[in-house]
Amino acid sequence: MGSVTRTKLMSIMALGAMIGLLLLPILVAIPALASDGGAPAAGVKKEGGDAKVEKGKDVYYKTEGIVSGPPAPKTTDSEKDYPRYNFESRVLLWFANQQHLYYGSFVLAVPIFCMVIEFMGVVTKDKAMAKRYDQLAYDFIKISLTAYSLTAILGGILIFTFLTLYPAFFQYLSGIFRPVMHIYALMFVAESGTLYIYYYGWDKMKEGLLKWIHLSMSVVLNVIGTILMFLANSWIGFMMSPAGVDEQGRYLGNIWHVIHTALWNPLNLHRILGNMAFGGGVVAAYSAYRFLSAKTDEERAHYDWMGYIAMALGVAFLIPLPFAGYWLMREVYAYRQQMGITLMGGLLAWLFIIQATMIGILFLSTNYYLWQALGRMRGAEKYQRYIKYLVFLLTCGFLVFITPHTIVMTPAELKAMGGQQHPVLGNYGVMSAKNGGINVIITTTVLSFVWYMRGNKVSTVSWSKFGNIFMGCFFFFAYLNIIMLAVYGYYIPANVRVGLSVPQVATTLSCLFFMFALNSVMMKGAKQMGPIEWGKISARSQYALIMLATAFTWMMGLMGYIRSSVRLFWHVNEIMRDNSPWAYTHTVGFAANMISANVLFFWISIMFVFWLGALAAKKAPVEAKAAVPGRAAAPAVGH
Amino acid sequence: MKALMSVGALIGVLGLLMLIGMIFGVIPSNTVRLVEGYMPMQVLSELAVFVAGFTGLSYLANSMGIAFPRFWQGVLFWVFIQTYLKFRIYPPIPFSVRAMYGTVSFVAVFMWVSANEEDWKKFRQPILNVLDANTGFHKALRTMYLILLPLLIGGFSFLTMKPSVDEPIELRTVHPAPPASTKVHGKTYTLQTSQNPYRVNLEGKYDQAYSNKLIVEQGMGRLMAPNANPWDEKAEGYLKYVREGGEIFFQNCHFCHGDNLNGRGLHAFAFNPIPANFTDPGTIAQLQETFIFWRVAKGGIGLPNEGFPWASVMPPWEQHLTTDEIWKVILFEYWHTGYYPRTWD
Repeated sequence: MGSVTRTKLMSIMALGAMIGLLLLPILVAIPALASDGGAPAAGVKKEGGDAKVEKGKDVYYKTEGIVSGPPAPKTTDSEKDYPRYNFESRVLLWFANQQHLYYGSFVLAVPIFCMVIEFMGVVTKDKAMAKRYDQLAYDFIKISLTAYSLTAILGGILIFTFLTLYPAFFQYLSGIFRPVMHIYALMFVAESGTLYIYYYGWDKMKEGLLKWIHLSMSVVLNVIGTILMFLANSWIGFMMSPAGVDEQGRYLGNIWHVIHTALWNPLNLHRILGNMAFGGGVVAAYSAYRFLSAKTDEERAHYDWMGYIAMALGVAFLIPLPFAGYWLMREVYAYRQQMGITLMGGLLAWLFIIQATMIGILFLSTNYYLWQALGRMRGAEKYQRYIKYLVFLLTCGFLVFITPHTIVMTPAELKAMGGQQHPVLGNYGVMSAKNGGINVIITTTVLSFVWYMRGNKVSTVSWSKFGNIFMGCFFFFAYLNIIMLAVYGYYIPANVRVGLSVPQVATTLSCLFFMFALNSVMMKGAKQMGPIEWGKISARSQYALIMLATAFTWMMGLMGYIRSSVRLFWHVNEIMRDNSPWAYTHTVGFAANMISANVLFFWISIMFVFWLGALAAKKAPVEAKAAVPGRAAAPAVGH
Repeated sequence: MKALMSVGALIGVLGLLMLIGMIFGVIPSNTVRLVEGYMPMQVLSELAVFVAGFTGLSYLANSMGIAFPRFWQGVLFWVFIQTYLKFRIYPPIPFSVRAMYGTVSFVAVFMWVSANEEDWKKFRQPILNVLDANTGFHKALRTMYLILLPLLIGGFSFLTMKPSVDEPIELRTVHPAPPASTKVHGKTYTLQTSQNPYRVNLEGKYDQAYSNKLIVEQGMGRLMAPNANPWDEKAEGYLKYVREGGEIFFQNCHFCHGDNLNGRGLHAFAFNPIPANFTDPGTIAQLQETFIFWRVAKGGIGLPNEGFPWASVMPPWEQHLTTDEIWKVILFEYWHTGYYPRTWD
């Protein structure tokens, strides 16, 4: 048997083993699920030899089920339920949880990028380009590998924190999820195994069928990662909108009801998109860091390109993120109106203003990066002179988007204003205006992308003049439609107004998909004014990438805090009350400081990961041909 | 192009002169009024006109060879935005919001002046000149900055730390989350599902679409819809209930909430904060009728924990009005303001 055949055989066996590992948790779980997860049948009472079955009503699904678990513990403010360590236990847990989430999100997102980039490398016909993509995917997974170990360590710390500081709550939650707890653990083992084979098998499996097998491993890796995340989401979904238990919190034997709560699916979608955007941001920051510390032009070219790809991937998932968030909020309102009002109109409303500011910063940074990127293309000067108008549009959208409904003011200012609401700015503080604001911002970002995509090109299609006019009109009417609908929203009932977001979003998405498609068709075979000079981008652009990543991290911390604190004084909403001394909502200032501390710690630790990644860099970056005058490093696909 | 830019420049100069004139009282401050109902879009449109005007001015100056330095363009544009926000918009914008707007516009100016390498070089050149201090003038400037900046920062710190006699800022939750249900006069109302029993059509059935057609039109004038005068003696059903609600409103509520429902009643300014302005799109227009029912029935004293610091002198009207009267007065408030109650379907 030749060595190649043996390698192939080993690879196929490795893949088979991985699939086996993937299926193992499910196979193991089947008997457990069939027997209600082995949970003690608390509802079966034996009286004089006759078994009496106690039934309960599901708090959400309203179905009847056999009581199969103990009620939620009624905790007291005591050492037994809430051990004390001269520190606010909630803050410790917050820290452990947030760090685990940061790293968890990162290591779940990066393999998805690797899968996409590796696939692009496999299908690209240009061999030099394919090699660059492959190297890029490898660079990505290399960073994630060290982060993966840290995720596992932080996960362990998190569990110990729960066990030590909130034993009663953790015992209850793990009791409810007992049927799937071991699936989670086994999935984690499967994820680890697959990741290590995927990473260490990179060089061995780089040609022909083996490469396809390697690529399919990334699919397996991502399937496992996604299931892992969905399972973790089911816990927070249960804490916010419990189901599968009765009013006393007793498990009713249907684990699917416990998992599939009212908010589970919106949370799943929002977290997938959020993780991807966050992962893109972190890798972009890594590239920026390597770009700024690069010693050679080749290095700069490589990391400039890497930063661009990471940013583009991150932003591709950032654009639909507000819409997924909108769906989540809609479901929150549908589940409990009070919860929705607490979030968006009441106690936590100011945090949403901070969130709006962060979203604005994300889009502003993205646009700024793209404008800077125009500078490395010859021929893009024609677009640069119009940037000021895009700045104006973005700023107007941003200002409307961040205007608070409940304004912070001194009593003297309140009196001078003559009421709680400002007659001009009050109109910007409500949802109709904000929908308009964010859609203007996103549409402008799409426009920036379109300019970037055609920066150094001149369309050669016969209908290019018509195409340009059509695109201009399309964008003009898109803006007009978005703004008109935002104004119209004030004159119609609320339920109709909520529906207006659909045509607004549709307008934005039409710009995104239709204009991108049309632009691609117009730019097919376009005349190039000059190459994209990778590495010749300004240092400011790299700081924009770092800003992008920092804003992502901050916003993730903020939104996690908002989502968690909306339960107010409940561990599990309306089922298990938090009777610890820390069951109050923190002030906005404290929360902001805590989020900043979390962000700072994450970035310090990830810098360590980056440093390790740089230490492990054995391969020289792929030569950037862009430096060769008059030759494009990456032709059309370079965008 | 030049003609277009000339028009832009003309508009820019006129606008600027008018704004300066209005600020310094050279021309009446209401020469160009912000029109109620259109103010938000008017502000944005005015800013757009100014941007177009400044672009035209810059273009013309460039074509005449008297280019205005990019550094000063950036600085003065930012100053202009702050001036506009401070003096053009009335009532005055609270400092917290102006600070937010100021920061955003600062970032926007930075993005504009550094969008490409050439502009960025032009913008930072005067700063570098001062830092390098190659001429006597720049050296003097640098020395001045070295003295002034610490003084300014010191002064700012002093003013920030200085004890103030002003009342502290309160971050008040104006619309706290309501309870799931509320009990009024012995009956429990589920807030998410209860309906106003008087929002009915001619057949006596709950019909929001019917009542929506009969409310006062929004915008300037606030005109009554045709054949929808509640004070017509023949008015029946919904319109009759609106009239009855109006009578209750003017007997009990208008002293504080005002006869135009704008929160500026006879006693309004005795309170801090002043009563809710129902004509603002951020109050009843954002809420379910049942939310208003709960707030009217329970008043300030019935605000939940989330309503901290419970800054409301609203009486618990369940002690003075019947349940029917509360529903009718709510009907009137929506009719009069021309807003629709929030619904979730």
